[in-house]
Amino acid sequence: MATERSDIEQQIRTAVPSGNASVDEALNRRYAAGFVTDIETESLPPGLSEDIVRALSALKHEPEWMTEWRLAAYRQWLTMTSPEWAKVKLGPIDFQAISYYAAPKKKPKSLDEVDPKLLETYEKLGVPLHERAKLAGVAVDVVFDSVSVATTAQQELAKAGVIFCSMSEAIRSHPELVRKYIGTVVPQGDNFFAALNSAVFSDGSFVFIPKGVRCPMELSTYFRINAGHTGQFERTLIIAEEGSHVSYLEGCTAPMRDENQLHAAVVELVALERAQIKYSTVQNWYPGDENGVGGIYNFVTKRGECRGDDSKICWTQVETGSAITWKYPSCVLRGDRSVGEFYSVALTHHYQQADTGTKMIHLGRNTKSKIVSKGISAGKSSNSYRGLVKVEKNAEGARNYTQCDSLLIGKQCGAHTFPYMEVKNPTAIVEHEATTSKISDDQMFYCRSRGIGEEDAVSMIVDGFCKQVFRELPMEFAVEAKKLLEVSLEGAVG
Amino acid sequence: MSSPFVQAMVAAAAAARLPGSGIAWLDAARRESLDAFAAAGLPPARGVEAWKYTALRTLEQRRYALGDAQAGARAVAPETWTLPGVDGPRMVFVNGTFRADLSALDALPAGLTLVPLSRALAEDAEPLRFFLTRMFRASGDAFARLNAALAADGAVLRVAAGARIAAPVHIVHVGAPTEAEIAWHARCLVELGEGAELSLVEHHAAAGAAPHFGNLLSDVVLRDRARLALTVLQDADAGATLFRRAEMRLGADATATLHALELGGALVRHEVHASLDGDRARFDTRGVFALRGRQHVDTRLSVEHRGRDTAGDALWRGIADERARGVFQGAIVVAPGADGADAKLSNKNLLLSPQAEIDTKPVLEIYADEVKAAHGATVGQLDERSLFYLRSRGIGAAEARSLLTYAFCRAALDSLSNAALAEHLGTRLLARLPIRGED
Repeated sequence: MATERSDIEQQIRTAVPSGNASVDEALNRRYAAGFVTDIETESLPPGLSEDIVRALSALKHEPEWMTEWRLAAYRQWLTMTSPEWAKVKLGPIDFQAISYYAAPKKKPKSLDEVDPKLLETYEKLGVPLHERAKLAGVAVDVVFDSVSVATTAQQELAKAGVIFCSMSEAIRSHPELVRKYIGTVVPQGDNFFAALNSAVFSDGSFVFIPKGVRCPMELSTYFRINAGHTGQFERTLIIAEEGSHVSYLEGCTAPMRDENQLHAAVVELVALERAQIKYSTVQNWYPGDENGVGGIYNFVTKRGECRGDDSKICWTQVETGSAITWKYPSCVLRGDRSVGEFYSVALTHHYQQADTGTKMIHLGRNTKSKIVSKGISAGKSSNSYRGLVKVEKNAEGARNYTQCDSLLIGKQCGAHTFPYMEVKNPTAIVEHEATTSKISDDQMFYCRSRGIGEEDAVSMIVDGFCKQVFRELPMEFAVEAKKLLEVSLEGAVG
Repeated sequence: MSSPFVQAMVAAAAAARLPGSGIAWLDAARRESLDAFAAAGLPPARGVEAWKYTALRTLEQRRYALGDAQAGARAVAPETWTLPGVDGPRMVFVNGTFRADLSALDALPAGLTLVPLSRALAEDAEPLRFFLTRMFRASGDAFARLNAALAADGAVLRVAAGARIAAPVHIVHVGAPTEAEIAWHARCLVELGEGAELSLVEHHAAAGAAPHFGNLLSDVVLRDRARLALTVLQDADAGATLFRRAEMRLGADATATLHALELGGALVRHEVHASLDGDRARFDTRGVFALRGRQHVDTRLSVEHRGRDTAGDALWRGIADERARGVFQGAIVVAPGADGADAKLSNKNLLLSPQAEIDTKPVLEIYADEVKAAHGATVGQLDERSLFYLRSRGIGAAEARSLLTYAFCRAALDSLSNAALAEHLGTRLLARLPIRGED
């Protein structure tokens, strides 16, 4: 038992003996979402080739143009190499060992037909799929491994004219919309993993908010990787027409496995004139065990384009899972007076690595962006913020404010900040501030002297550190995020 | 196929007769460095993070002759290098060649050794072996490799333990007009013994149009408790290409300060890599670049905290006008176990023209938890309210702008203890500031 803990936990524990059974228990608590659902799945054999791409497209009954689009991406991918600039260490990925499609065998027609075991899975995860969906007013699109299994509250949304369905369904029933927007924010050859995704994406969510509509409820997707030796390559596309408004939530989990599974998603957001999109993520993919074995490689390309004037895109993310998190939800501020925001909490523990941040590309006049990033490193983890603020020549009056704070828990972790500022317009104002600190002995002493246990004290201090970001999350997500942080930090301080 | 620049350098190396050749270890080190340079060439336009903001495509196409055969005879007026407040020993290099006639090395104060590298190699090369056999293997180190292969001269400066050198030492690199475009490579070694104190001025000046390629590599070592005040005035010819790199190591309780003013050059790369090895070592840096025309100046500062309770405070200012591009890359690294590190970095920039560009990248890499580390960076323009205030007091728009810009930069030079030198740097800076018409 003792050998499972890192040296530093040992040190701290020796220095401040807890003598507390609940702390010991907490130290050894496992990844709470790490169960495997035992249901039959139908998958393509491992490997990647033009035939696999065609087979995948055929399985999903896609039109010819979509198949060609995938093949073009695949051919481009073949000419690309995996990028190496991030501050992460990873072994080579064998793309031929991955199965690019895995679906539950029984295709459900409605919620009642959904495999009870599956529902049980979501129950364990606390996804408000059935009753809680209505209570919380949440419409959920659940992506299980590669396909979307059920979408709730379709009717109510349809009344408002909102389209919220799986990507596969959108390709079949709204091909003109998909064709018009897909790949316009993240082109097929944007980067190595985006190209791979464009070739083999299996499913994902599609959201279309028509002109002037305020989406009547929060939309939500839950991703879960279940089958072994698979990758998840979902593709999400959200289009907000003139003057519309939508808030979208996404959550992710995966079972515990010794292998590193790849999750390479692409998310594209398009905000037309005066439209607002709020995209919130709570990412809790399996982080690997305390020795750094297994866990998800979370290499995601997320980008939103404020295409119309006065539009706004806001990314909020809480990243606690994954062995490696490598993503930069970005905003291209093309429309005049458009606004981009990025709020992030990234927590790494044990051997987790995160290289995450954002890009704010100012193209339009009087565009504004704000970045608030909070990194927490514990154990032997490495946590980097990397962000680009770019002001192009015509972005008269652009304004950016960036704040990056890092909190270190323990002596063997790393916290890094790599901000890039590129300014080509003399009327722009770009500001960046960053600090690095640890939980101070004074803070701990204060809490302890008030009778607050060590774990609770740490969790209080971390909560305070992250408050600025949590405030931006929809309420039910904020609660989940806070809990997730507590669970993830267990054992960080003895 | 290697580029014209690389070909010309490699060809020149084959014909060059460098001082100290015949010393087996030196020949081997030079050969190895040259082979590494020839094999890797210059950093490519994409993919090397350290060179992200400085493209070398134009440089790749240029062929420079190695050294200036007539450098020993070129006339250079003393006004080229004269600096108020700097009247100590002087060592002058013209187009990379040591000029005894222009230098002032007689009657050096006790404890100070200052000789040209060429002479040091001829007399006793062994003490230099450690430095001159260093290999630069990182992917962005092309110019350091080139220097290690081709440096023909430079300064070797030593201060004995406990010696306090009162008068500032002045090392001048003058670019003088030549018939052909030439390249020079100089290697400097500065070593301060335990408790030694020195004030050093590195000065780049031009005696007429000198669009040369200069490559200066310096090793600076401060033993325990040594103190160094280093000032750099870079006032090279507007057509010059200048690559400078200083590698500094600080022992326990050693203190170094750097004040840098970058004014000249067409393409300039200025790298300072400091390693605070000893406990309580301290390195404070202050720098300003003021650019115009099509100047491209890339400053790269990296301070690594390794000892305990080390400190570093960096304050850099930049202004870019017309079509200039200013780059600042500043990194603070706190190594595992470097508890008690206190590191600050501030980089503020003014962008004065729609064609100018500023890129800044302040990096923190922290591997210890008992640290205070913070950085801030801004890019913006002059405060309209301050301008209005000055205008309301009857000061013209152009003058008001210059005044505010000057004040913005001057903050970085204020802490220079040599008042006469600080005053002169201020004057040089003010002379360079954009005076614009009423807008």
